[in-house]
Amino acid sequence: MFSLKPPRPTFRSYLLPPPQTDDKINSEPKIKKLEPVLLPGEIVVNEVNFVRKCIATDTSQYDLWGKLICSNFKISFITDDPMPLQRFHYRNLLLGEHDVPLTCIEQIVTVNDHKRKQKVLGPNQKLKFNPTELIIYCKDFRIVRFRFDESGPESAKKVCLAIAHYSQPTDLQLLFAFEYVGKKYHNSANKINGIPSGGGSGPGGGGVQKTPLFETYSDWDREVKRTGASGWRVCSINEGYMISTCLPEYFVVPSSLADQDLKIFSHSFVGRRMPLWCWSHSNGSALVRMALIKDVLQQRKIDQRICNAITKSHPQRSDVYKSDLDKTLPNIQEIQAAFVKLKQLCVNEPFEETEEKWLSSLENTRWLEYVRAFLKHSAELVYILESRHLSVVLQEEEGRDLSCIVASLVQVMLDPHFRTITGFQSLIQKEWVMAGYQFLDRCNHLKRSEKESPLFLLFLDATWQLLDQYPAAFEFSETYLAVLYDSTRISLFGTFLFNSPHQRVKQSTEFAISKNIQLGDEKGLKFPSVWDWSLQFTAKDRTLFHNPLYIGKSTPCVQNGSVKSFKRTKKNYSSTLRGMPASLKNGIISDQDLVPRRNSLILEAKPDLPQQPESQNSGMERYFREWFSKPADLHGVILPHLSGTHVKLWKLCYFRWVPEAQINLGGFITAFHKLSVLADEVDVLSRTLRQHRAGPLEACYAELDKSRMYFRASGPHDASGTPEFLSSSFPFSPVGNLCRRSISGTPLSKFLSGAKIWLSTETLANED
Amino acid sequence: MSLLRGLLGMELIGTSVRLFLDFREKLASLDSALILDVPLGVISRIEKMGGATSRGENSYGLDITCKDMRNLRFALKQEGHSRRDMFEILTRYAFPLAHSLPIFAFLNEEKFNVDGWMVYNPVEEYRRQGLPNHHWRITFINKCYELCDTYPALLVVPYRASDDDLRRVATFRSRNRIPVLSWIHPENKTVIVRCSQPLVGMSGKRNKDDEKYLDVIRETNRQISKLTIYDARPNVNAVANKATGGGYESDDAYHNAELFFLDIHNIHVMRESLKKVKDIVYPNVEESHWLSSLESTHWLEHIKLVLTGAIQVADKVSSGKSSVLVHCSDGWDRTAQLTSLAMLMLDSYYRSIEGFEILVQKEWISFGHKFASRIGHGDKNHADADRSPIFLQFIDCVWQMSKQFPTAFEFNERFLITILDHLYSCRFGTFLYNCESVREKQKVTERTVSLWSLINSNKDKFKNPFYTKEINRVLYPVASMRHLELWVNYYIRWNPRIKQQQPNPVEQRYVELLALRDEYIQRLEELQLASSAKLSDPSPSPSSPSQMMPHVHTHF
Repeated sequence: MFSLKPPRPTFRSYLLPPPQTDDKINSEPKIKKLEPVLLPGEIVVNEVNFVRKCIATDTSQYDLWGKLICSNFKISFITDDPMPLQRFHYRNLLLGEHDVPLTCIEQIVTVNDHKRKQKVLGPNQKLKFNPTELIIYCKDFRIVRFRFDESGPESAKKVCLAIAHYSQPTDLQLLFAFEYVGKKYHNSANKINGIPSGGGSGPGGGGVQKTPLFETYSDWDREVKRTGASGWRVCSINEGYMISTCLPEYFVVPSSLADQDLKIFSHSFVGRRMPLWCWSHSNGSALVRMALIKDVLQQRKIDQRICNAITKSHPQRSDVYKSDLDKTLPNIQEIQAAFVKLKQLCVNEPFEETEEKWLSSLENTRWLEYVRAFLKHSAELVYILESRHLSVVLQEEEGRDLSCIVASLVQVMLDPHFRTITGFQSLIQKEWVMAGYQFLDRCNHLKRSEKESPLFLLFLDATWQLLDQYPAAFEFSETYLAVLYDSTRISLFGTFLFNSPHQRVKQSTEFAISKNIQLGDEKGLKFPSVWDWSLQFTAKDRTLFHNPLYIGKSTPCVQNGSVKSFKRTKKNYSSTLRGMPASLKNGIISDQDLVPRRNSLILEAKPDLPQQPESQNSGMERYFREWFSKPADLHGVILPHLSGTHVKLWKLCYFRWVPEAQINLGGFITAFHKLSVLADEVDVLSRTLRQHRAGPLEACYAELDKSRMYFRASGPHDASGTPEFLSSSFPFSPVGNLCRRSISGTPLSKFLSGAKIWLSTETLANED
Repeated sequence: MSLLRGLLGMELIGTSVRLFLDFREKLASLDSALILDVPLGVISRIEKMGGATSRGENSYGLDITCKDMRNLRFALKQEGHSRRDMFEILTRYAFPLAHSLPIFAFLNEEKFNVDGWMVYNPVEEYRRQGLPNHHWRITFINKCYELCDTYPALLVVPYRASDDDLRRVATFRSRNRIPVLSWIHPENKTVIVRCSQPLVGMSGKRNKDDEKYLDVIRETNRQISKLTIYDARPNVNAVANKATGGGYESDDAYHNAELFFLDIHNIHVMRESLKKVKDIVYPNVEESHWLSSLESTHWLEHIKLVLTGAIQVADKVSSGKSSVLVHCSDGWDRTAQLTSLAMLMLDSYYRSIEGFEILVQKEWISFGHKFASRIGHGDKNHADADRSPIFLQFIDCVWQMSKQFPTAFEFNERFLITILDHLYSCRFGTFLYNCESVREKQKVTERTVSLWSLINSNKDKFKNPFYTKEINRVLYPVASMRHLELWVNYYIRWNPRIKQQQPNPVEQRYVELLALRDEYIQRLEELQLASSAKLSDPSPSPSSPSQMMPHVHTHF
């Protein structure tokens, strides 16, 4: 449940810097039995008592006393002290308030003040000094800091070394998920299918459809039928991963290609990754992804055969449009570099010092530029599929990195199904998990990959941009996206643990054999799915995933009086500029606009458009212009605005731990709150109405307990004010998650000069 | 520069209000009519382009620069002197001052069912604040604008200061703008006082009366030993002002005061900064390096400094429990920004539509922000050094606050944009002239219509659906570059490519839900009526929803 702790009554003068009371340090630390909460299979490997968790860098008055433990799953700080200054805590059922999963740790820094030394701890390293301080840099942008002034020096050192060791395992099977699942299987030894697989129930609790995982033939078959794709079939030649270890067992191919042909062709593709169908437009154009053909001699021939087959699968026999992603988009190293800079800028560098040059520094990270590039390229492919009726083939060396982002974004823009929670989750299963996105390497769970790159985050960020621009087009909220990103850092879910489905089967079978687990008919161990959100959040907390602005297609709407339709009909759109060419500037047409400009939506001539007629650019320009001149149909195609003013920083994700950036009792969440309350009231009314019509049915009552909304109406015309605990970081809280100056209560403290902003480590010498 | 090509059958009706163009476009793919509606008051300059020898169909015509970030260019046919006529008509009516013509507001005969001039009554506003009280009195010393010709007639001053004291203090304050009360905290009774700079000069003059007067102000609040003075200027500017007879309160002379500089730049810096904003959004929006271009305008940095200053004032009064005196040089630009923004943060009343109108009417209009000089209503001298977007900057700050607190303001973005549009339009008398004394002489309230008449007679259009009325909540925005944004819907609103979704989808959805709720409530009421008609038994049936949802039930 939520712990809604009332703010501690800290009426103190904010005119003076907080008194540097160190009485907590001097006083005898309390001795209490502090026990960790452990999951099945979780064991404590080391622990140290009398640890101080630092809350602010400029004062120790808020510090918490407790025990620091390192388990094979997390580091956990256990304390009896209540969290100071915190108004709200979004509770993850798998983790305590102060816990950090080992896979979320980015870097471990140990410090000894007295010897003026610091050391970044790698695995199996020695530490020549006894640490007085431990700083954990987390992958989700948090920075957590502990002090060992009162702890036993040796045990402090041991815990630090244990954390370093266990957070940087040598083998995939040492990740906690294996231990956890192994234990689950043992506990249910009699039942062979001990763990329910599947997508888990939706976040709203009962009645929500399961997320298809695309592990089975039938999931793919259903998707083919759902999109109405004719000329495509599910192919089972990779059953048992006989053809490729980085493809799913089932995938969809042009009907005209026989299994035998595919088997032959597969040898020519990098990673034997032959063309995979992703999605079909209702006009018959298909989105296909494939790896490069490495066999130079065969290249033309195979390419031709594949293209012909895709053409044959198109009802109009349209041509194929190829998009070479390696040539048009930033590569994974560039994206990683941008991310590192972004992170540096958002959390590591002092807040005030980065203010003056904030905008240009943000630009220099290139993160937004890359987000825009992916959105732009995807929007261009939407044009090809939707307007030119051509099938699109995404080409990339291995076809399992940039393709994941582009394929997903194109589908989010084109198909409203993927803007629902279940649809979005199925999209991630289809285009990421099953398509062999290398979560293990890209997330760098084992901390030794040179191939780390935040492509999945970039996809979530790009999705957020669309959500920000079309806030009523998505069933989910930005909290959902942020929580989904966090879930990639919890090594419990099979979803984000492996480089391919085959790796899961292979590794878990090995593990099962070594642990004497009977697998029966199962292909490998069944790990919990991240889509089973009930593992992480209570039903109430999961309602925060719902976007109160969203109107599902099935939602009944009143068709009379003032409430005509929830679709933005053309009538609602009033602008004198409607229907004007996009090149109209200040009411006047510009000549220059006929020439495509850089970074505009207008496509520049690209080398990969050999077959394009001259009119391609103007065709695309016209398509976008016409689309933007009309009100968006939220159950149809949505296209991103791409100008510098539209592509923004995802503040909730990147600023949620930054105390200085927090707007207390403000931010979009306050409007979200009002909306939720009203939406809840409407829900209650609509249920009451239905009940009236259906007569006094007991069943209707049961429904009344459930609400889609986190914030609920306390009565009709609920005009209650904004809850005290709301802030722009909600439902997250910066307190204790980013060791910064103690900014609280009053803005005046932000103007106090001379307060020490960041840690002492800068002046310390590195050991080594 | 953009141009309108192939203008067939363009009609231009130069009325004294607006340039009204109606032309049908004959472009192949479109058949929509474009109507361009530009109040003449918005025009900053009109230029002829091209001459008799110009080649090309677009090189000859008129170029019109507007005060609201627009530029219009009209291509005309060379034959028939049409341009000369049009130029003359436009110049005459766009710049009536140069032609001894009245400003349009005096000709406007619009009627509204609400009289906006009644919105602000200083006595009532001070009474709302609990004034006068035993520390503060209302004085009519400036009734005929004799003490200070740029101040309002009615002033609130310390009870212990006599009118003679005030006259003596006036001699030591630039343009006689003495420290007077703007706002008083309802609980701790600390005050925000505004004035102009002291006339210290190079020699470091002192004035016992001024020193004593500030001490009297300090003593109205017993909670703190010091009076806090916020000088809005950068330190160096304040020092430089000594050369022209001005300056700031020194430590030696004012023992019981603490002085801080807020580093806000002067009107010229702000004007140049806005010019740079226009450069990056017009004619095309800078795309490849948008963020660094935006940074190079420094516009948001100035916004940040103004907001930061206001936050400090508000925080000092609210948490620091110290009275605050705010001034800049003359006390009518930066001072107005700081006091009004601080009051907006401190007093939720000013966040309502009427409260905000009162705030503008009081801190800006009555206290002599020089609207005529800053905007140049009807004046053809577009390059005048007195022009500056100070009021626009204030409205921008309000918009930034409303972005950070979407439920705290009763008004919406449209309200703010409407105010800015009529800042230039000359359709209403609200923003005409530099100070109250001139407005009185010109009988503005009798001869013109108030902007608030337009707004208050159509309030629903300007309401923020998310507004949640709150009392006594101090609103502290985060004045950080991480949150400040360029106000795209104002500065780039003429560019359809950039145009944000209108109406705002979040607001629209909320309004739809409100309508849906009312619909449901109505239908439920009907159903209940029908069922209660059937059953003459008035008691609720056991299956009524009252047990589960008493609130819903009681409502019906």
